[in-house]
Amino acid sequence: MSGESPSFLERHQFLIYRLFSLAGFVPVGAFLIVHLLTNASILAGDGGRTFQSRVDMIHSLGPLLVPVEWAFIFLPMIFHAVVGFVIIANGLPNVGSYPYVSNLRYTLQRATGMIAFAFIIWHIWQLHALGKPFGGGRFDAHEAASSTAAVLGSTAVSILYCIGILSAVFHFANGLWTLGITWGLWTSPAAMRRANVVSIAVGVVLAAAGLGAVAGFRSLPADSASHGHAASAVHETLPPSSP
Amino acid sequence: MMIRATDDAHAMTDAAGAQRGELVRVRILRQDVPSGESYWERFEVPYERNMNVISILQKIAAQARSQDGRKVAPVAWDCNCLEEVCGSCTMLINGRTRMACSALVDRLLAEDGDEIELRPMSKFPVVRDLVVDRRRLFRGLEKVEAWVPVEGSYDLGPGPRISPDEQEDAYPLSTCMSCGCCLEACPQYTKVEVVRREGESEKDFEARRKAAYDAAFVGAHAVSQAMLFNAHPTGRMIADERMKALTRQGGIQMCGNAQNCVAVCPKGIPLTRSIARAGRAATVWAIKRLFDR
Repeated sequence: MSGESPSFLERHQFLIYRLFSLAGFVPVGAFLIVHLLTNASILAGDGGRTFQSRVDMIHSLGPLLVPVEWAFIFLPMIFHAVVGFVIIANGLPNVGSYPYVSNLRYTLQRATGMIAFAFIIWHIWQLHALGKPFGGGRFDAHEAASSTAAVLGSTAVSILYCIGILSAVFHFANGLWTLGITWGLWTSPAAMRRANVVSIAVGVVLAAAGLGAVAGFRSLPADSASHGHAASAVHETLPPSSP
Repeated sequence: MMIRATDDAHAMTDAAGAQRGELVRVRILRQDVPSGESYWERFEVPYERNMNVISILQKIAAQARSQDGRKVAPVAWDCNCLEEVCGSCTMLINGRTRMACSALVDRLLAEDGDEIELRPMSKFPVVRDLVVDRRRLFRGLEKVEAWVPVEGSYDLGPGPRISPDEQEDAYPLSTCMSCGCCLEACPQYTKVEVVRREGESEKDFEARRKAAYDAAFVGAHAVSQAMLFNAHPTGRMIADERMKALTRQGGIQMCGNAQNCVAVCPKGIPLTRSIARAGRAATVWAIKRLFDR
Protein backbone atom coordinates (compact mmCIF):
# COMPACT_ATOMS: atom_id res chain seq x y z
CA MET A 1 0.00 0.00 0.00
CA SER A 2 1.16 3.54 0.64
CA GLY A 3 3.27 2.30 3.53
CA GLU A 4 6.94 3.08 2.94
CA SER A 5 7.28 6.38 1.08
CA PRO A 6 4.21 8.35 0.00
CA SER A 7 4.11 9.27 -3.69
CA PHE A 8 4.19 12.84 -5.00
CA LEU A 9 0.41 12.78 -5.34
CA GLU A 10 -0.06 11.55 -1.79
CA ARG A 11 2.32 14.13 -0.34
CA HIS A 12 0.53 16.95 -2.14
CA GLN A 13 -3.01 15.67 -1.75
CA PHE A 14 -4.22 18.83 0.00
CA LEU A 15 -2.83 21.11 -2.71
CA ILE A 16 -4.17 18.93 -5.52
CA TYR A 17 -7.66 18.73 -4.02
CA ARG A 18 -7.74 22.48 -3.45
CA LEU A 19 -6.59 23.16 -7.02
CA PHE A 20 -9.29 20.72 -8.14
CA SER A 21 -11.87 22.71 -6.21
CA LEU A 22 -10.55 26.01 -7.56
CA ALA A 23 -10.41 24.74 -11.15
CA GLY A 24 -14.10 23.81 -10.95
CA PHE A 25 -14.86 27.46 -10.18
CA VAL A 26 -12.28 29.24 -12.34
CA PRO A 27 -11.67 28.70 -15.14
CA VAL A 28 -14.06 25.76 -15.79
CA GLY A 29 -17.12 27.16 -13.98
CA ALA A 30 -16.53 30.66 -15.28
CA PHE A 31 -16.30 29.25 -18.79
CA LEU A 32 -19.60 27.41 -18.29
CA ILE A 33 -21.29 30.69 -17.37
CA VAL A 34 -19.85 32.53 -20.38
CA HIS A 35 -20.69 29.62 -22.68
CA LEU A 36 -24.31 29.26 -21.56
CA LEU A 37 -24.96 33.01 -21.59
CA THR A 38 -23.40 33.31 -25.07
CA ASN A 39 -25.66 30.52 -26.28
CA ALA A 40 -28.66 32.24 -24.74
CA SER A 41 -28.08 35.22 -27.03
CA ILE A 42 -29.78 33.08 -29.70
CA LEU A 43 -32.97 34.14 -27.91
CA ALA A 44 -32.43 37.76 -29.01
CA GLY A 45 -35.01 37.14 -31.75
CA ASP A 46 -32.91 38.39 -34.65
CA GLY A 47 -32.39 35.07 -36.42
CA GLY A 48 -29.06 34.47 -34.69
CA ARG A 49 -27.26 37.72 -35.55
CA THR A 50 -26.45 38.60 -31.94
CA PHE A 51 -25.22 35.04 -31.42
CA GLN A 52 -23.08 35.30 -34.57
CA SER A 53 -21.55 38.57 -33.38
CA ARG A 54 -20.65 36.95 -30.00
CA VAL A 55 -19.05 34.03 -31.82
CA ASP A 56 -17.17 36.46 -34.08
CA MET A 57 -15.91 38.24 -30.97
CA ILE A 58 -14.54 34.98 -29.53
CA HIS A 59 -13.01 34.03 -32.86
CA SER A 60 -11.37 37.46 -33.21
CA LEU A 61 -8.64 35.93 -31.00
CA GLY A 62 -7.46 34.34 -34.26
CA PRO A 63 -4.31 32.25 -33.81
CA LEU A 64 -4.51 32.74 -30.03
CA LEU A 65 -7.84 30.93 -29.82
CA VAL A 66 -6.40 27.42 -29.71
CA PRO A 67 -3.75 28.06 -27.01
CA VAL A 68 -6.29 30.02 -24.94
CA GLU A 69 -8.76 27.17 -25.27
CA TRP A 70 -6.23 24.61 -24.13
CA ALA A 71 -4.80 26.67 -21.29
CA PHE A 72 -8.06 27.96 -19.83
CA ILE A 73 -10.63 25.36 -20.81
CA PHE A 74 -9.39 21.93 -21.88
CA LEU A 75 -6.43 21.41 -19.55
CA PRO A 76 -8.19 22.68 -16.38
CA MET A 77 -11.22 20.58 -17.35
CA ILE A 78 -9.10 17.45 -17.84
CA PHE A 79 -7.38 18.08 -14.48
CA HIS A 80 -10.74 18.57 -12.76
CA ALA A 81 -12.12 15.41 -14.38
CA VAL A 82 -9.12 13.21 -13.57
CA VAL A 83 -9.02 14.24 -9.89
CA GLY A 84 -12.81 14.01 -9.83
CA PHE A 85 -12.73 10.39 -10.95
CA VAL A 86 -10.14 9.60 -8.26
CA ILE A 87 -12.44 11.18 -5.66
CA ILE A 88 -15.46 9.26 -6.94
CA ALA A 89 -13.51 5.99 -6.90
CA ASN A 90 -12.52 6.52 -3.26
CA GLY A 91 -16.01 7.34 -1.99
CA LEU A 92 -18.83 4.99 -1.04
CA PRO A 93 -22.23 6.68 -1.57
CA ASN A 94 -24.80 5.55 0.99
CA VAL A 95 -27.90 7.58 0.20
CA GLY A 96 -30.01 4.42 0.59
CA SER A 97 -29.14 4.11 4.29
CA TYR A 98 -28.92 7.84 5.00
CA PRO A 99 -31.49 9.57 2.77
CA TYR A 100 -30.70 13.15 3.77
CA VAL A 101 -30.89 16.02 1.28
CA SER A 102 -27.20 16.91 1.52
CA ASN A 103 -26.25 13.24 1.12
CA LEU A 104 -28.43 13.04 -1.99
CA ARG A 105 -26.63 16.12 -3.27
CA TYR A 106 -23.28 14.43 -2.57
CA THR A 107 -24.37 11.47 -4.70
CA LEU A 108 -25.86 13.67 -7.43
CA GLN A 109 -22.68 15.78 -7.51
CA ARG A 110 -20.76 12.65 -8.49
CA ALA A 111 -23.41 11.35 -10.89
CA THR A 112 -23.80 14.69 -12.68
CA GLY A 113 -20.01 15.06 -12.84
CA MET A 114 -19.77 11.78 -14.73
CA ILE A 115 -22.76 12.58 -16.98
CA ALA A 116 -21.34 16.04 -17.73
CA PHE A 117 -17.94 14.48 -18.50
CA ALA A 118 -19.44 12.04 -21.01
CA PHE A 119 -21.62 14.79 -22.46
CA ILE A 120 -18.74 17.22 -22.88
CA ILE A 121 -16.66 14.66 -24.77
CA TRP A 122 -19.60 13.94 -27.08
CA HIS A 123 -20.38 17.65 -27.42
CA ILE A 124 -16.76 18.46 -28.35
CA TRP A 125 -16.73 15.63 -30.90
CA GLN A 126 -20.00 16.79 -32.38
CA LEU A 127 -19.44 20.54 -32.65
CA HIS A 128 -15.81 21.45 -31.98
CA ALA A 129 -13.17 21.48 -34.72
CA LEU A 130 -11.36 18.76 -32.72
CA GLY A 131 -14.13 16.39 -33.76
CA LYS A 132 -13.63 16.92 -37.50
CA PRO A 133 -11.14 14.07 -38.03
CA PHE A 134 -13.65 11.74 -36.35
CA GLY A 135 -16.65 12.68 -38.45
CA GLY A 136 -17.95 15.39 -36.09
CA GLY A 137 -17.04 19.04 -35.70
CA ARG A 138 -20.23 20.32 -37.28
CA PHE A 139 -20.11 23.82 -35.80
CA ASP A 140 -19.18 26.47 -38.38
CA ALA A 141 -18.04 29.74 -36.81
CA HIS A 142 -19.20 31.65 -39.89
CA GLU A 143 -22.63 30.04 -39.83
CA ALA A 144 -22.81 29.82 -36.03
CA ALA A 145 -26.58 29.75 -35.56
CA SER A 146 -27.56 27.65 -38.54
CA SER A 147 -24.83 25.02 -38.09
CA THR A 148 -25.79 24.60 -34.42
CA ALA A 149 -29.48 24.53 -35.27
CA ALA A 150 -28.85 21.81 -37.84
CA VAL A 151 -27.38 19.57 -35.11
CA LEU A 152 -30.10 20.40 -32.59
CA GLY A 153 -32.79 19.78 -35.19
CA SER A 154 -32.79 16.18 -34.00
CA THR A 155 -35.11 15.76 -31.02
CA ALA A 156 -32.96 12.96 -29.57
CA VAL A 157 -29.85 15.16 -29.73
CA SER A 158 -31.75 18.03 -28.11
CA ILE A 159 -32.92 15.82 -25.26
CA LEU A 160 -29.37 14.61 -24.65
CA TYR A 161 -28.17 18.22 -24.71
CA CYS A 162 -30.79 19.16 -22.12
CA ILE A 163 -29.62 16.31 -19.87
CA GLY A 164 -25.98 17.31 -20.36
CA ILE A 165 -26.67 20.99 -19.70
CA LEU A 166 -28.74 20.28 -16.58
CA SER A 167 -26.02 17.94 -15.26
CA ALA A 168 -23.29 20.51 -15.82
CA VAL A 169 -25.38 23.27 -14.24
CA PHE A 170 -26.29 21.19 -11.18
CA HIS A 171 -22.66 20.14 -10.81
CA PHE A 172 -21.53 23.76 -10.95
CA ALA A 173 -24.23 25.24 -8.70
CA ASN A 174 -23.94 22.52 -6.06
CA GLY A 175 -20.17 22.67 -6.39
CA LEU A 176 -20.32 26.40 -5.74
CA TRP A 177 -22.00 25.71 -2.41
CA THR A 178 -19.56 22.98 -1.36
CA LEU A 179 -16.59 25.04 -2.56
CA GLY A 180 -17.54 27.69 -0.03
CA ILE A 181 -17.44 25.07 2.74
CA THR A 182 -14.19 23.57 1.47
CA TRP A 183 -12.42 26.93 1.44
CA GLY A 184 -14.15 28.12 4.61
CA LEU A 185 -16.13 30.99 3.08
CA TRP A 186 -19.37 30.03 4.82
CA THR A 187 -18.87 28.25 8.12
CA SER A 188 -22.01 28.65 10.24
CA PRO A 189 -25.22 26.77 9.43
CA ALA A 190 -26.98 30.11 8.78
CA ALA A 191 -24.27 31.24 6.37
CA MET A 192 -24.45 27.85 4.61
CA ARG A 193 -28.22 28.29 4.21
CA ARG A 194 -27.80 31.76 2.69
CA ALA A 195 -25.06 30.53 0.36
CA ASN A 196 -27.34 27.65 -0.60
CA VAL A 197 -30.07 30.08 -1.71
CA VAL A 198 -27.53 31.97 -3.84
CA SER A 199 -26.20 28.73 -5.35
CA ILE A 200 -29.72 27.58 -6.21
CA ALA A 201 -30.44 30.97 -7.83
CA VAL A 202 -27.24 30.71 -9.91
CA GLY A 203 -28.27 27.20 -10.94
CA VAL A 204 -31.79 28.24 -11.93
CA VAL A 205 -30.53 31.17 -14.04
CA LEU A 206 -27.92 29.03 -15.81
CA ALA A 207 -30.39 26.18 -16.38
CA ALA A 208 -32.86 28.66 -17.89
CA ALA A 209 -30.14 30.10 -20.12
CA GLY A 210 -28.95 26.66 -21.21
CA LEU A 211 -32.34 25.12 -21.90
CA GLY A 212 -33.60 28.37 -23.39
CA ALA A 213 -30.74 28.31 -25.88
CA VAL A 214 -31.59 24.74 -26.96
CA ALA A 215 -35.18 25.84 -27.53
CA GLY A 216 -33.94 28.98 -29.28
CA PHE A 217 -31.80 27.05 -31.75
CA ARG A 218 -34.63 24.64 -32.44
CA SER A 219 -37.12 27.40 -33.16
CA LEU A 220 -34.93 29.31 -35.63
CA PRO A 221 -36.89 29.93 -38.85
CA ALA A 222 -36.35 27.01 -41.18
CA ASP A 223 -34.65 29.04 -43.94
CA SER A 224 -32.35 30.75 -41.45
CA ALA A 225 -31.50 27.37 -39.97
CA SER A 226 -30.42 26.08 -43.33
CA HIS A 227 -28.74 29.19 -44.76
CA GLY A 228 -27.34 31.10 -41.79
CA HIS A 229 -25.98 34.45 -42.92
CA ALA A 230 -28.05 34.44 -46.07
CA ALA A 231 -31.17 34.14 -43.96
CA SER A 232 -30.00 36.97 -41.73
CA ALA A 233 -29.61 39.13 -44.83
CA VAL A 234 -33.15 38.27 -45.90
CA HIS A 235 -34.30 39.06 -42.40
CA GLU A 236 -33.08 42.64 -42.71
CA THR A 237 -35.41 43.28 -45.62
CA LEU A 238 -38.40 42.08 -43.62
CA PRO A 239 -40.18 44.28 -41.10
CA PRO A 240 -38.72 43.62 -37.62
CA SER A 241 -40.76 41.04 -35.78
CA SER A 242 -40.06 42.64 -32.44
CA PRO A 243 -39.35 46.29 -31.52
CA MET B 1 -38.56 14.79 30.82
CA MET B 2 -38.31 11.15 31.89
CA ILE B 3 -42.07 10.91 32.27
CA ARG B 4 -42.59 12.40 28.82
CA ALA B 5 -40.27 9.80 27.31
CA THR B 6 -42.15 6.99 29.00
CA ASP B 7 -45.46 8.35 27.76
CA ASP B 8 -44.07 8.48 24.25
CA ALA B 9 -42.89 4.91 24.54
CA HIS B 10 -46.40 3.91 25.72
CA ALA B 11 -47.99 5.44 22.67
CA MET B 12 -45.48 3.74 20.40
CA THR B 13 -46.09 0.43 22.11
CA ASP B 14 -49.76 0.64 21.33
CA ALA B 15 -49.03 1.60 17.75
CA ALA B 16 -46.68 -1.34 17.25
CA GLY B 17 -49.01 -3.68 19.07
CA ALA B 18 -46.23 -5.27 21.11
CA GLN B 19 -47.42 -6.36 24.52
CA ARG B 20 -45.87 -7.81 27.65
CA GLY B 21 -45.36 -11.52 27.06
CA GLU B 22 -45.01 -11.19 23.31
CA LEU B 23 -41.75 -11.99 21.61
CA VAL B 24 -39.47 -9.45 19.94
CA ARG B 25 -37.74 -10.81 16.84
CA VAL B 26 -34.12 -9.82 16.33
CA ARG B 27 -31.87 -10.50 13.34
CA ILE B 28 -28.15 -10.19 14.05
CA LEU B 29 -25.23 -10.24 11.60
CA ARG B 30 -22.65 -12.39 13.40
CA GLN B 31 -19.00 -13.10 12.80
CA ASP B 32 -16.92 -15.53 14.85
CA VAL B 33 -13.39 -14.33 14.16
CA PRO B 34 -11.69 -11.23 12.70
CA SER B 35 -11.89 -11.20 8.88
CA GLY B 36 -13.98 -14.37 9.02
CA GLU B 37 -17.28 -15.08 7.27
CA SER B 38 -20.33 -13.28 8.58
CA TYR B 39 -23.75 -14.91 8.86
CA TRP B 40 -27.25 -13.99 10.00
CA GLU B 41 -28.83 -15.48 13.09
CA ARG B 42 -32.35 -14.86 14.38
CA PHE B 43 -33.34 -14.59 18.03
CA GLU B 44 -36.56 -14.05 19.95
CA VAL B 45 -36.71 -12.42 23.33
CA PRO B 46 -39.73 -11.74 25.56
CA TYR B 47 -40.95 -8.17 25.18
CA GLU B 48 -40.77 -5.81 28.13
CA ARG B 49 -41.81 -2.21 28.31
CA ASN B 50 -38.99 0.38 27.86
CA MET B 51 -36.44 -2.14 26.66
CA ASN B 52 -33.41 -0.87 24.80
CA VAL B 53 -31.15 -2.76 22.42
CA ILE B 54 -28.68 -3.49 25.22
CA SER B 55 -31.37 -5.23 27.27
CA ILE B 56 -32.23 -7.33 24.22
CA LEU B 57 -28.58 -8.35 23.90
CA GLN B 58 -28.46 -9.19 27.62
CA LYS B 59 -31.49 -11.45 27.24
CA ILE B 60 -29.95 -13.11 24.19
CA ALA B 61 -26.76 -13.72 26.18
CA ALA B 62 -28.78 -15.22 29.02
CA GLN B 63 -30.75 -17.63 26.81
CA ALA B 64 -27.91 -18.33 24.32
CA ARG B 65 -30.40 -19.97 21.98
CA SER B 66 -31.33 -18.97 18.45
CA GLN B 67 -34.94 -18.65 17.27
CA ASP B 68 -34.96 -22.23 15.99
CA GLY B 69 -33.88 -23.52 19.41
CA ARG B 70 -30.24 -24.28 18.67
CA LYS B 71 -27.75 -23.65 21.45
CA VAL B 72 -25.43 -20.90 20.18
CA ALA B 73 -22.61 -18.81 21.59
CA PRO B 74 -23.94 -15.58 23.11
CA VAL B 75 -23.71 -12.53 20.85
CA ALA B 76 -20.72 -10.35 21.73
CA TRP B 77 -21.13 -6.57 21.94
CA ASP B 78 -19.50 -3.52 23.49
CA CYS B 79 -21.15 -1.26 26.02
CA ASN B 80 -20.29 0.62 29.14
CA CYS B 81 -22.12 3.66 30.49
CA LEU B 82 -25.67 2.88 29.25
CA GLU B 83 -26.50 6.59 29.13
CA GLU B 84 -25.10 7.75 25.80
CA VAL B 85 -21.92 9.37 27.05
CA CYS B 86 -19.21 6.71 26.64
CA GLY B 87 -19.68 6.02 22.94
CA SER B 88 -18.85 2.33 23.06
CA CYS B 89 -22.13 0.67 21.99
CA THR B 90 -22.38 2.06 18.44
CA MET B 91 -23.89 -0.38 15.96
CA LEU B 92 -26.13 -0.44 12.89
CA ILE B 93 -29.65 -0.72 14.23
CA ASN B 94 -32.24 -1.17 11.49
CA GLY B 95 -29.58 -0.05 9.04
CA ARG B 96 -28.74 3.22 10.77
CA THR B 97 -25.74 3.95 12.95
CA ARG B 98 -26.70 4.75 16.54
CA MET B 99 -26.06 3.94 20.16
CA ALA B 100 -27.58 0.65 21.35
CA CYS B 101 -28.19 2.08 24.84
CA SER B 102 -30.43 4.91 23.65
CA ALA B 103 -32.17 2.89 20.92
CA LEU B 104 -35.52 2.08 22.51
CA VAL B 105 -37.23 -1.09 21.33
CA ASP B 106 -40.70 0.45 21.36
CA ARG B 107 -39.57 3.12 18.93
CA LEU B 108 -37.69 0.67 16.73
CA LEU B 109 -40.77 -1.54 16.44
CA ALA B 110 -42.93 1.47 15.65
CA GLU B 111 -40.60 2.75 12.92
CA ASP B 112 -39.56 -0.50 11.31
CA GLY B 113 -42.04 -3.33 11.68
CA ASP B 114 -41.79 -6.49 13.71
CA GLU B 115 -38.09 -7.35 13.51
CA ILE B 116 -35.04 -5.49 14.76
CA GLU B 117 -31.88 -5.78 12.71
CA LEU B 118 -28.45 -5.46 14.35
CA ARG B 119 -25.20 -5.25 12.42
CA PRO B 120 -21.67 -4.30 13.46
CA MET B 121 -20.36 -0.95 12.20
CA SER B 122 -19.29 -1.37 8.59
CA LYS B 123 -16.34 1.04 8.58
CA PHE B 124 -14.25 -0.79 11.16
CA PRO B 125 -12.87 -4.34 11.18
CA VAL B 126 -15.10 -6.75 13.10
CA VAL B 127 -13.49 -8.40 16.11
CA ARG B 128 -16.47 -10.59 16.91
CA ASP B 129 -20.23 -10.24 16.27
CA LEU B 130 -21.08 -6.61 17.11
CA VAL B 131 -17.64 -5.75 18.52
CA VAL B 132 -15.45 -3.75 16.16
CA ASP B 133 -11.85 -2.54 16.26
CA ARG B 134 -12.04 1.25 16.43
CA ARG B 135 -8.33 1.94 16.76
CA ARG B 136 -8.42 4.00 13.57
CA LEU B 137 -10.87 6.38 15.24
CA PHE B 138 -8.41 6.95 18.10
CA ARG B 139 -5.50 7.13 15.68
CA GLY B 140 -7.35 10.06 14.08
CA LEU B 141 -7.42 11.89 17.43
CA GLU B 142 -3.75 11.08 17.92
CA LYS B 143 -2.91 12.37 14.46
CA VAL B 144 -4.41 15.82 15.16
CA GLU B 145 -3.12 15.87 18.76
CA ALA B 146 -6.59 16.30 20.18
CA TRP B 147 -5.46 17.34 23.67
CA VAL B 148 -4.04 20.29 25.59
CA PRO B 149 -0.29 19.76 26.02
CA VAL B 150 0.52 20.36 29.68
CA GLU B 151 3.78 18.51 30.09
CA GLY B 152 6.12 19.87 32.72
CA SER B 153 7.44 19.06 36.16
CA TYR B 154 6.36 22.28 37.85
CA ASP B 155 3.14 24.20 38.32
CA LEU B 156 2.48 26.30 35.21
CA GLY B 157 -0.10 28.39 37.02
CA PRO B 158 -3.65 29.03 35.85
CA GLY B 159 -4.23 29.15 32.11
CA PRO B 160 -5.64 32.19 30.28
CA ARG B 161 -9.28 33.02 30.86
CA ILE B 162 -11.85 31.76 28.36
CA SER B 163 -14.73 34.14 27.69
CA PRO B 164 -18.30 32.89 28.10
CA ASP B 165 -18.79 33.26 24.34
CA GLU B 166 -15.82 31.04 23.63
CA GLN B 167 -17.03 28.54 26.22
CA GLU B 168 -20.44 28.41 24.62
CA ASP B 169 -18.86 27.85 21.22
CA ALA B 170 -16.52 25.12 22.46
CA TYR B 171 -18.85 23.21 24.78
CA PRO B 172 -20.82 21.29 22.13
CA LEU B 173 -17.56 20.13 20.55
CA SER B 174 -16.33 18.88 23.93
CA THR B 175 -19.32 16.51 24.21
CA CYS B 176 -17.85 14.22 21.54
CA MET B 177 -17.72 10.69 22.94
CA SER B 178 -15.78 9.04 20.09
CA CYS B 179 -18.73 6.82 19.22
CA GLY B 180 -17.84 6.86 15.52
CA CYS B 181 -21.38 7.47 14.19
CA CYS B 182 -20.06 10.35 12.04
CA LEU B 183 -17.49 8.01 10.50
CA GLU B 184 -19.93 5.16 9.94
CA ALA B 185 -22.32 7.43 8.02
CA CYS B 186 -19.59 9.24 6.06
CA PRO B 187 -19.35 8.18 2.41
CA GLN B 188 -15.74 9.42 2.33
CA TYR B 189 -14.64 7.35 5.35
CA THR B 190 -14.19 3.86 3.96
CA LYS B 191 -13.12 0.73 5.80
CA VAL B 192 -9.41 0.09 6.28
CA GLU B 193 -8.64 -3.43 7.48
CA VAL B 194 -4.98 -4.38 7.77
CA VAL B 195 -4.35 -8.07 8.29
CA ARG B 196 -1.10 -9.28 9.81
CA ARG B 197 1.10 -11.04 7.28
CA GLU B 198 2.67 -14.37 7.98
CA GLY B 199 5.99 -13.95 9.79
CA GLU B 200 5.46 -10.18 10.25
CA SER B 201 6.69 -8.86 13.58
CA GLU B 202 4.27 -7.10 15.91
CA LYS B 203 6.22 -3.86 15.43
CA ASP B 204 6.19 -4.01 11.63
CA PHE B 205 2.49 -4.83 11.64
CA GLU B 206 1.74 -1.88 13.96
CA ALA B 207 3.71 0.48 11.71
CA ARG B 208 1.94 -0.78 8.60
CA ARG B 209 -1.46 -0.50 10.25
CA LYS B 210 -0.83 3.07 11.41
CA ALA B 211 0.46 4.09 7.97
CA ALA B 212 -2.68 2.67 6.38
CA TYR B 213 -4.88 4.56 8.86
CA ASP B 214 -2.95 7.79 8.30
CA ALA B 215 -3.26 7.57 4.52
CA ALA B 216 -7.07 7.35 4.71
CA PHE B 217 -9.52 10.10 5.75
CA VAL B 218 -9.00 11.21 9.34
CA GLY B 219 -12.75 11.75 9.88
CA ALA B 220 -15.16 14.43 11.08
CA HIS B 221 -14.63 13.67 14.77
CA ALA B 222 -10.89 14.43 14.56
CA VAL B 223 -11.44 17.57 12.48
CA SER B 224 -13.89 18.83 15.08
CA GLN B 225 -11.58 18.02 18.00
CA ALA B 226 -8.72 19.80 16.23
CA MET B 227 -10.95 22.88 15.98
CA LEU B 228 -11.92 22.54 19.67
CA PHE B 229 -8.31 22.49 20.84
CA ASN B 230 -7.17 25.13 18.35
CA ALA B 231 -9.78 27.43 19.89
CA HIS B 232 -8.52 26.74 23.41
CA PRO B 233 -5.98 29.34 24.64
CA THR B 234 -3.54 26.68 25.87
CA GLY B 235 -4.36 24.07 23.26
CA ARG B 236 -3.72 26.70 20.59
CA MET B 237 -0.01 26.55 21.40
CA ILE B 238 0.34 23.61 19.02
CA ALA B 239 -2.23 24.89 16.51
CA ASP B 240 0.28 24.67 13.66
CA GLU B 241 0.94 21.01 14.41
CA ARG B 242 -2.77 20.31 14.10
CA MET B 243 -3.07 22.27 10.87
CA LYS B 244 -0.11 20.35 9.50
CA ALA B 245 -1.88 17.09 10.38
CA LEU B 246 -5.18 18.29 8.90
CA THR B 247 -3.56 19.18 5.57
CA ARG B 248 -1.54 15.98 5.26
CA GLN B 249 -2.71 13.00 3.23
CA GLY B 250 -6.16 11.94 4.45
CA GLY B 251 -6.77 15.37 5.97
CA ILE B 252 -9.60 17.88 5.72
CA GLN B 253 -9.46 17.83 1.90
CA MET B 254 -11.01 14.35 1.90
CA CYS B 255 -14.35 15.72 3.13
CA GLY B 256 -17.00 15.40 0.40
CA ASN B 257 -19.61 17.65 2.05
CA ALA B 258 -22.26 14.95 2.27
CA GLN B 259 -22.99 16.28 5.78
CA ASN B 260 -24.16 12.91 7.08
CA CYS B 261 -21.87 13.34 10.09
CA VAL B 262 -23.87 16.20 11.52
CA ALA B 263 -27.15 14.44 10.73
CA VAL B 264 -26.32 11.25 12.65
CA CYS B 265 -24.27 12.67 15.56
CA PRO B 266 -26.05 11.50 18.75
CA LYS B 267 -24.72 14.55 20.60
CA GLY B 268 -25.82 17.04 17.94
CA ILE B 269 -22.28 18.40 17.55
CA PRO B 270 -22.07 21.05 14.78
CA LEU B 271 -19.58 18.96 12.80
CA THR B 272 -20.08 20.74 9.49
CA ARG B 273 -19.35 24.05 11.20
CA SER B 274 -16.11 22.54 12.50
CA ILE B 275 -15.27 21.19 9.05
CA ALA B 276 -15.91 24.57 7.39
CA ARG B 277 -13.83 26.29 10.10
CA ALA B 278 -11.06 23.78 9.51
CA GLY B 279 -11.35 24.51 5.79
CA ARG B 280 -10.97 28.22 6.48
CA ALA B 281 -8.06 27.64 8.86
CA ALA B 282 -6.40 25.38 6.28
CA THR B 283 -6.82 28.04 3.58
CA VAL B 284 -5.20 30.71 5.76
CA TRP B 285 -2.52 28.29 6.98
CA ALA B 286 -1.61 27.13 3.48
CA ILE B 287 -1.30 30.71 2.21
CA LYS B 288 0.79 31.68 5.24
CA ARG B 289 3.06 28.71 4.70
CA LEU B 290 3.44 29.59 1.04
CA PHE B 291 4.60 33.15 1.75
CA ASP B 292 6.15 32.97 5.22
CA ARG B 293 8.62 30.18 4.79
